[in-house]
Amino acid sequence: MIQLKHLFKWYNVGGTRSFVLKDVSLDIAEGDFISIMGPSGSGKSTLLNIIGMLDEPDEGEYIFMDENVLEMKAKKRSQLYQSHIGYVFQAYHLLDELTVYENIETPLIYKDISSKERKAIVADMLDRFGIVGKKDLFPAQLSGGQQQIVGIARALAGSPKLLLADEPTGNLNSKQGEEIMELFKQLNDDGVTIIQVTHSEKNAEYGKRIVNMLDGQLK
Amino acid sequence: MIRNYLKIAWRNMTNNKLYSTIKIGGFAFSVAICILILLYIKHETSYDRMYPDMDRVFRLVIQAPDGDKSVQYLSFPAPAAKTLQAEIPSIESVGRVLPNTLFGAGSNLFTVNGNAENHLDAGFVYVDQSILEMFPLPIIAGQLNHALDKPNSLVITKSKAQKFFKGNAVGQTIYLNNNKNVLYNITAVIDDVPSNSSLYGYDYFISLAGQPFYQGEQNNWGATNYITYVKLKENTDLGTAQHAISKNYVEDHYIPINKKNGMKISPETMQSKVLLQNALDMHLYSKNILEYAMATQYQGDIKMVWVFAGIAFFILLIACINFVNLSTANAATRAKEIGIRKTIGSSRSTLITQFMTEAVCYSLISLIIGLLLAWTLLPLFNSLANKTLVIPWATWYFIPSLILTMLTIGGIAGIYPALYLSGFQPINALKSKSGSNPKTALLRNGLVVFQFATSIILMVSALIANQQISYMLNKDIGFNKDQVIVLRGINSITSEVQNLRNELKAIPAVSNVSIGDYLPVPLDGVKRNGNPFWAKGKEDLELPEAGQFWNIDENYVSTFGLRLIAGRNFNPQIASDSSGTIVNKKMITTLGIKGNPIGAQITNGRTWTIIGVVDDFIFESLKGEGYVPVCMTLASSPSLLSIKTKSTDMAKTLADINTVWDKFAPHQKINYSFLDEGFASLYQDVERTKNIFSCFAIVAIFVAALGLFGLATYVTQQRTKEIGVRKVLGASSLRLLKLLSGDFIKLVFVALVIASPVAWWAMNQWLRDFNYKIDINWMYFILAGMGAVLIALGTISYQTWKAIRTNPVDSLRDE
Repeated sequence: MIQLKHLFKWYNVGGTRSFVLKDVSLDIAEGDFISIMGPSGSGKSTLLNIIGMLDEPDEGEYIFMDENVLEMKAKKRSQLYQSHIGYVFQAYHLLDELTVYENIETPLIYKDISSKERKAIVADMLDRFGIVGKKDLFPAQLSGGQQQIVGIARALAGSPKLLLADEPTGNLNSKQGEEIMELFKQLNDDGVTIIQVTHSEKNAEYGKRIVNMLDGQLK
Repeated sequence: MIRNYLKIAWRNMTNNKLYSTIKIGGFAFSVAICILILLYIKHETSYDRMYPDMDRVFRLVIQAPDGDKSVQYLSFPAPAAKTLQAEIPSIESVGRVLPNTLFGAGSNLFTVNGNAENHLDAGFVYVDQSILEMFPLPIIAGQLNHALDKPNSLVITKSKAQKFFKGNAVGQTIYLNNNKNVLYNITAVIDDVPSNSSLYGYDYFISLAGQPFYQGEQNNWGATNYITYVKLKENTDLGTAQHAISKNYVEDHYIPINKKNGMKISPETMQSKVLLQNALDMHLYSKNILEYAMATQYQGDIKMVWVFAGIAFFILLIACINFVNLSTANAATRAKEIGIRKTIGSSRSTLITQFMTEAVCYSLISLIIGLLLAWTLLPLFNSLANKTLVIPWATWYFIPSLILTMLTIGGIAGIYPALYLSGFQPINALKSKSGSNPKTALLRNGLVVFQFATSIILMVSALIANQQISYMLNKDIGFNKDQVIVLRGINSITSEVQNLRNELKAIPAVSNVSIGDYLPVPLDGVKRNGNPFWAKGKEDLELPEAGQFWNIDENYVSTFGLRLIAGRNFNPQIASDSSGTIVNKKMITTLGIKGNPIGAQITNGRTWTIIGVVDDFIFESLKGEGYVPVCMTLASSPSLLSIKTKSTDMAKTLADINTVWDKFAPHQKINYSFLDEGFASLYQDVERTKNIFSCFAIVAIFVAALGLFGLATYVTQQRTKEIGVRKVLGASSLRLLKLLSGDFIKLVFVALVIASPVAWWAMNQWLRDFNYKIDINWMYFILAGMGAVLIALGTISYQTWKAIRTNPVDSLRDE
């Protein structure tokens, strides 16, 4: 599904290059569940952002579903992104001024899905994640775990093939974290490819494969 | 989709109440001001457009060279109109208007059907029947055709008919100023003259077909008192007609006839010509015409229209700038939202549409509030601008065109923030590392400088206008205008008038009483004229000098506090004083009288011996030509009576005066005014300019302060971390306050530097219209600059203080 070939990313600091990613190559098959681990500053979030098409490498090749992402026009890339990728953040990043229902609905609006279909999908999501009763609440009225569940529901509303999660449990207590991880495992069993960045050994264990990073390189 | 946008816009608005209030408030205020100004401009430019065939109606203007410039007049001899009609084939009709108070136009005392009651009212004017046909108004009663054909016929307006007449006014009669020998017969009642007509202010149209004002007056080519209109036939070439009329009047009649009658013709007159001024241009393009003030009660000026339009444009521009500033300033808080939206699949164009929708929502809400504001402020604005404007709710295009305008403005104001905000990189936006790039900072600072510069210009203008007015009101004018009460309409008292004077004089608080119509202040009913004067013996050698010829009584000099600098006052006991005159200094210098002026003689057709000289005094506006030669003679002019009082208890004095008045004129309400108020009213238009500028300055500074507030919010947000670090390192609050305020104050200083020369230039232009004027003092610029700095400091202090008070632990935590 994903082939990363010799990715480099650097910043120029005072005339010398400071590498964030250094010759990273990685193959990810459909249905995989990968945990990227490593200390702060090792480049794991950058790698995730590049996979999620939010960032670009300075050098290297990125093939997503047999298409070269880096040579693609912005519009095409955004289409690809919309239809295949969902993103979950450590800080949830829900839209504060929208209700739970509307947060889940927003990506569907961007995908130009009809209002009737949207209703069905959102209802399905609310049902699936057991948050039907909270659909009219605003993010500020939810606990952290609940917000993250909404975040995941939002990421999954567009039925992506790939779910990217940047420390999804980082702001949660261990019980809430466990619930989220169970949810991920179940999603993976249903066929969603998952890549997560985590600090926690325990959470990493949920993945099928663990990738370790240090100083911008895979170990 | 659009519903979604609207929903988000609404939630953003209600979540950020302070921001929304500032954005909408600033916009709404500007919209309100612009609506008011547009109404004003529309009214000013709509003059006389309600009349048909205005493209063919012209007012005749005489233009004569005057040094290297030229002067324009409106005055034509009585027979000019009918002569032109008879001799120029392209003229369809001619009409004359005589608004001169000397002949009884203006304010008059009148009596209906010989009833006991007398009324005093203004708005009398003499016109030809054809004037009513050129400027037709809906007829309420009677017939408009031939209404003024007969001598002593009178057409009045609806509101006057209702006010003073019982039943149908047509057929009823009045007489004027107690003169029971001349009865005026009302032949028609017309609708009230609209406020945007050049005839506005006139309510009583008296026929010019009556008796001449003196023997031979209607055929006198020497006396020029009539404003003359012509209506050309259809498809007439304007240039040809103008040339024909000019030649006919100047070369064929005016010069040869007057020459034949022995009048000396000046070289200026020889070169004068007649211009045709289109009736639609009369209101706005007549500032250069000398007798314009006399001919038109409500004067317009195209310059003011442009100034107003410019101000409206600038205020709207400031509001747009604010909108941009506040929107981009708010970017930090919007950044996260933008980042999220982008990561969940929003394209840039979707975001742009969303932000544009928001901007348009803001502008539409501002429009609604602005309209309501304009509606509320309209009475205030009307009194400021001396107008009776109404908001044309019912006009079909009013609301749609406003909405369209606001959509456009909202779009213009929204496009920059939309592009700016939607361009955030999602990763950076989520880490709230948005935007502080130096280019946008420069733009934003530039916008603030522009706003403050505009405000400072308006502030300086208001200050200078204010100074000029107080200068004019307090300048030594050569007479004492204070504590003089003027009674009008005393002609009804006739033979008893001396007794009235004596009884008024007997009131303890009254120091003197003078009877006469030639007051040094042009109140309603005061007379002016223009006479040719020569030093005796030079009539045949020199061209005459123009001067005023006033009838006064022996109490005039002391009542008005004129300063006698040579000779003596009139004494009715001395028989020879009836051919004596008191002149002002200007008359002596103008006529070139050398040596002791007492005993010298001057002539205006009759010869007068100078018995006294008074210091020069200003009896027109200080804007005008300055001192004018005056020749005062002992004769009666009995419709005004001036009472000089020494009392501080004006209420008691007025009550005493009223008691005496009621004894002499039981059927006539007392009508009085104060001389100093009349004097102040001379400067009404200057006063108006000042008030308007003050209001605009307040609005501009208010809106600019809103913008600065936005900027302060933005900058302090950006610098929160810096402030935190500085606090941890031990910076005191005062130091931080200086650091944060310093940048803004610099901007205001830059604005001051830019604004000062512009304001100086603009006000110099304005002051050029005044004969007596102040020097522009650099203090005004310091004052305006200090005002702007103080306002700026006050505006930013809240945000700055908040930032300084924040615990550094909080501001440094998000790392």
